[in-house]
Amino acid sequence: MKKSLVFVLGFALALTAAPFVEKSHAMDKVTLGIAISQTGRYAEPAGRMVNSYKLYVDQVNAGKGWNGKKIDFVILDDKSDKQTSLKLYEKLITQDKVNLTIGPYSSGITDAVANVFERYKYPTMAPGASSGIIWKKGRKYLFNIISVAQDYQKGAIHIAKDIGVKRIAIVGEDSLFPRQSAEGAVAWAKKLGLKVVLNENYPRKQTDFTALLQKIKARRAEALISNSYFADAAAQIRQLRELNINLKIFAGTVGPGLPKFAKQLGDTAEYVLGFSQWEPKPEILKRPGMKEFIAAYEKRYGVKPNYHAGQSYASLQIFGDAVAKAGSADRDKVWKALRTMKTMTIIGPWKVDDTNLNSHEGLTFQILDGQRKIVWPKKISEVSYKLPMPKWKERGKN
Amino acid sequence: MQERAEIRSKYWLALFLVAAYTVPFAVGIYTENVFFDLQWLADLTTVILNGIMQGGVYAMFAVGLTLIFGVMRIINVAHGELVMLGAYLTWMFFFYVGIDPLLALFITLPIAFCIGLLIQKLLLNAVVGGPELTPLLITFGLGLTIIHIVEAIFTTDYRTIPYAPDALQLTETIAVSKSKIISFVMAAFISLSVFFFLKVHRIGKAIRATAQNADVAMVCGINIFHIYMITSGLAAALAVAGGALVSIQFGFNPETGVLYTLQAFAIIVLGGRGHYIGALIGGVMLAVIESLISFMIPNGTAMVEIASYGMMVFVLLIRPRGLMGPKEN
Amino acid sequence: MAQNEHLRNFGMLAILIIVLSVLPPNLNLYQRSVIMFTMMYVVLALSWNIISGYTGYVSFGHVMFYGIGSYATAILVVDYGWHWIPTLFVGVLVSFVISLCIGFPVLRLKGPYFAIAMLGAAEGTRVVATVWDSFTHGGEGIGLPNVENSFETYFAMLVVMLVTIVVSYWVGHSRFGIRLNAIREDEIAAESLGINSTFYKLSAFALSAIFPAAAGGIQAYKVLYIDPETEFFILVTIYMKLFAMFGGKGTVIGPILGTFILYIVQEITWVKFPTAHLIAFGVFIVLVARFMPRGLMGFAIDKGWARKGMVH
Repeated sequence: MKKSLVFVLGFALALTAAPFVEKSHAMDKVTLGIAISQTGRYAEPAGRMVNSYKLYVDQVNAGKGWNGKKIDFVILDDKSDKQTSLKLYEKLITQDKVNLTIGPYSSGITDAVANVFERYKYPTMAPGASSGIIWKKGRKYLFNIISVAQDYQKGAIHIAKDIGVKRIAIVGEDSLFPRQSAEGAVAWAKKLGLKVVLNENYPRKQTDFTALLQKIKARRAEALISNSYFADAAAQIRQLRELNINLKIFAGTVGPGLPKFAKQLGDTAEYVLGFSQWEPKPEILKRPGMKEFIAAYEKRYGVKPNYHAGQSYASLQIFGDAVAKAGSADRDKVWKALRTMKTMTIIGPWKVDDTNLNSHEGLTFQILDGQRKIVWPKKISEVSYKLPMPKWKERGKN
Repeated sequence: MQERAEIRSKYWLALFLVAAYTVPFAVGIYTENVFFDLQWLADLTTVILNGIMQGGVYAMFAVGLTLIFGVMRIINVAHGELVMLGAYLTWMFFFYVGIDPLLALFITLPIAFCIGLLIQKLLLNAVVGGPELTPLLITFGLGLTIIHIVEAIFTTDYRTIPYAPDALQLTETIAVSKSKIISFVMAAFISLSVFFFLKVHRIGKAIRATAQNADVAMVCGINIFHIYMITSGLAAALAVAGGALVSIQFGFNPETGVLYTLQAFAIIVLGGRGHYIGALIGGVMLAVIESLISFMIPNGTAMVEIASYGMMVFVLLIRPRGLMGPKEN
Repeated sequence: MAQNEHLRNFGMLAILIIVLSVLPPNLNLYQRSVIMFTMMYVVLALSWNIISGYTGYVSFGHVMFYGIGSYATAILVVDYGWHWIPTLFVGVLVSFVISLCIGFPVLRLKGPYFAIAMLGAAEGTRVVATVWDSFTHGGEGIGLPNVENSFETYFAMLVVMLVTIVVSYWVGHSRFGIRLNAIREDEIAAESLGINSTFYKLSAFALSAIFPAAAGGIQAYKVLYIDPETEFFILVTIYMKLFAMFGGKGTVIGPILGTFILYIVQEITWVKFPTAHLIAFGVFIVLVARFMPRGLMGFAIDKGWARKGMVH
């Protein structure tokens, strides 16, 4: 009996030792580490980002590399879980000893792991996080690239003001990013003098919005500002139609920007407003390198890149420029370069302020004839918006 | 003594339900979410109607769960995953083969029946009557496996089936969605036919006998393991049918199943253990309460889940038999 | 039980503690975290074992206490500026009181009803944590101030684990534990022998509620960002059960062993095979529950490697 116990304990100890073998990387390479959701609920948008990273790394490795060094890309799966993500970044930093790190997907997970970057002084690009609150904690090593969640509904609310809407309803999923977006929407509405008649949250897995939509109708709201992801935005616009509730504006955030939104909903998706950090439209946005990136991405993955893909590609471009400017992948030098440098990416110019926030400006689009058309800000708009939305009954007749 | 406790528990349950229905109104009036005009009444009617139709679909997969629970005293935690699987099967037939979601039921239901049969035969038959932890864990593991296999094949993308997207205008101010009506009618039809099967058919009677007392049923010459398998198959078919009806109304992804499991739990607790009609009524009641909470309480949609979890805890405490369940023996 | 058997068991425990306390300086951050989280799951598995392994009341909602603990720590540290260590005691206290309030009515339920009620209670607590915005920061979650915490949390977790093991051991060897076992075997018979089953069940339930609260608090301080979705995640309860069951429920060494083996196997496999790992995990649960319901220790006892009732 004693023997068996010793055996079992020995076995357990042996197992304990197994994950603890440290790796060391060759000096002639720059290792770039990331833990991002390949499984779990964020797998889909995170997957597009991974596509872009791989594309960039292959392009650079096929060319001159970073300062002549090839990139070694280490990618781990965080299961869309923050405890796992935390452990994995600790692994990347203290065990795999990567040179540089890129942030995970989603604001919540980023808020958790950013502390590790701070403690270990790892300059990190965060293309997967947009909640402004993450940068309000005095963090020095996490670099923002996209416009913050508070500005997601800026365009929609300006448009609402333009067409004379007075009463708006704001709804959103009850988690970090949508709530930050709602906070911004309330602030913009106040600034522009619109009345917020309803501001409510719903749980993550909510599928039936009938009662909530009826409530919006009962409050006589003219526009619905929905701080949502794909599933909830699709359900809301669909149920608005099913209940024959006619609003002047429906503005989503992330959902309408995905190609499948218009595809799956068909003519129900028409006239919906959505927010995007970037659109694959080189002829309008006119950013350097856009055309080449879109072509390469489309060739490799068979679809056009969306903004997730664009912003993650851009974040590696920024890293590349910083490494070039610093002259090596030394973290301290790269950090100094990132803090001060000004550069251009495929999604726009990049320069951070004292709180590491970039002032990227997103855009608002409208789905017209199944296509996303940029309608706001005016200086880059493709077409002028067609609002208010026609009544459900009048649709499909022509 | 016993009888008086029995009657008292009945009153408590009635009180609890009355409270569940009136609290939203009270809070609504207090927070000025209730307007006393015709328009608002029409909105309320719409919400209640939608709740009832929603409840019909909930009820349909809850009866599957209640059947298994009644016959074998097993809680099938993977039931919601079967609902999700049903949604994916329907989606596949719709997009790859081009079959109408409702016609696809003719194909998906036999498949589901076989899945249920196999699960029962391979995993659950051996653990019926044992400690309750074992089947709980088995079905939970099964649920996880289903989720991740579906995720590996279809990714975590949300899918929807565009089906009957328009409204049916009942009056000037009351509109209900066509897809909900279709789902409700189908749900009512399917669950009532299963009900009559249980009442009239020989096998149905054997199932009920086994639910009442497995030992006696065995003595009467019923092969209870066959009955278990048929019950499981039937429950799986009901879950998958529920999935088909869910899929034409809502989006779904591999993780949506859990939500339906929890709702089904609340429904069978309210309806009473293993009671078929109880589950149908419970489903409708729960969905209506959820709608009322969402409609009248400020930020109510964030709280709707409270209805099902509150139901699970309080009904169990007040009256474990629920509305119509049989007495504990 | 023989005196020297106690001595030997404590000797083994002492070795484990010494090894775990001299290790940290030689480890990197990641390795410390892995061991920290392993110890956390030892605490959780053992706590679940106290109520469900000894008394047979299967709790499907133990994550509730873990979540309460982590919220207590996060709220007190962020909103009230406390040092984090005293917050653990507050978490434990709150958890203790809540466990009594919930346990008293819910423990009257039997079998699957108890499981469902606990599930409902845990999920209900999650909704409360989401909806009670002004107090819990709602779905937005709470971010804690950033500090280097890997040593502190490691040793705090070590202490909590030690206490949990000792308490579990005491439960297993005392008359208290024997009575709990009697309740598991036949509650009515136990009552007829004069055992106040309500009292014993309730004490076991409260005991099993306090350690997860401490573990949750330490975890919150380690992760530094919490939100209701992950702190009340149903999978945490499943892990507790699975680890305890794989090792052998109703014993002390079983849950410890089960956690160390499973958690670390998982740590190795998922990095390499993300999707396959999750499918395999589900299948593994099914297989353990179906073919090894008494776990490794049950297997060892059957084989005659371990004496029945050993370390138990």
